[in-house]
Amino acid sequence: MTEAKEIIVDENNKLFDKKGMFHKNFVSDFRQIRYFTLLVVQKAPPEIKEINLLEQQISEIIKNAVKHGNHNDPKKHIDVWYSFSDTHARLIVQDEGQGFKYLEEWNAFNRKRNECFQKQNFEEMAEYVSFITNKSDENDSGNALFAALEYWNGGLVFNNKRNAVAVAKYFPKKRHGLEINNNI
Amino acid sequence: MEIKLRRYSSIYIVDITGDMDMYNAGNVKNVINTMIAKNIQYYIINLENVEYMDSSGIGALIYIHSELKKKDMMLRIVNVTGSVKKVIELTKLMGYFKIAQSVKDGIEQLKELI
Repeated sequence: MTEAKEIIVDENNKLFDKKGMFHKNFVSDFRQIRYFTLLVVQKAPPEIKEINLLEQQISEIIKNAVKHGNHNDPKKHIDVWYSFSDTHARLIVQDEGQGFKYLEEWNAFNRKRNECFQKQNFEEMAEYVSFITNKSDENDSGNALFAALEYWNGGLVFNNKRNAVAVAKYFPKKRHGLEINNNI
Repeated sequence: MEIKLRRYSSIYIVDITGDMDMYNAGNVKNVINTMIAKNIQYYIINLENVEYMDSSGIGALIYIHSELKKKDMMLRIVNVTGSVKKVIELTKLMGYFKIAQSVKDGIEQLKELI
């Protein structure tokens, strides 16, 4: 089941339906990424925040748009749509960049990485810990999307131009009076 | 973010307090690079007081892990809990890193190698 996970391109995907979602527009200021993220995540009910995991995963998507999409250009903006409930988190982030052109390479890389993981072959996995391209700089860790694809269990979808990404995560409904996982 | 060093015989314990994120993770790399230059052999990175880690924090740990490995220096990452553990699990790196439960366990494991 996990092997089949990949980033897809599908502009007509239902994850791009913005109906009923909140919207914000942010300037491409790298220093403010965590602040922007807090403005978004404050709308989420505490039971889906998993301490700060939701915040962290949203900040990665916003960072990709500000840094890799808009190259921190203060003249460029990003648009963020979001909606939360106690059973879901949805996010769409669009930048003014050229689009994620390494998407197919990333999927192929991630497939090989997952093969190493399935075999628990961590020697070989060392070759696949970071996805680095000739556009990466020394501060790029090249691992954000691996976790994102796992975290956003409702999908991670790009538009055709690949400058907008839509993600969704669905949470199981918590039963009252029963702490299922107090270890997060 | 605050980074403090303490020593147990030849083992150096790096206590990190604060967020290991896109703004701060580089500091940890810099500290370790300085220690590598001083030829320190045994390292424990203590994440007990790190409550937030993003992909840059994980990137710093990957960098440190591989630099130390190249030089045959030894590392244990300890007190990996809460959402920090969750992020490392999502990135599928729990088995890749050398993780020990506590500072004490990390010291015990490294002592075997000295």
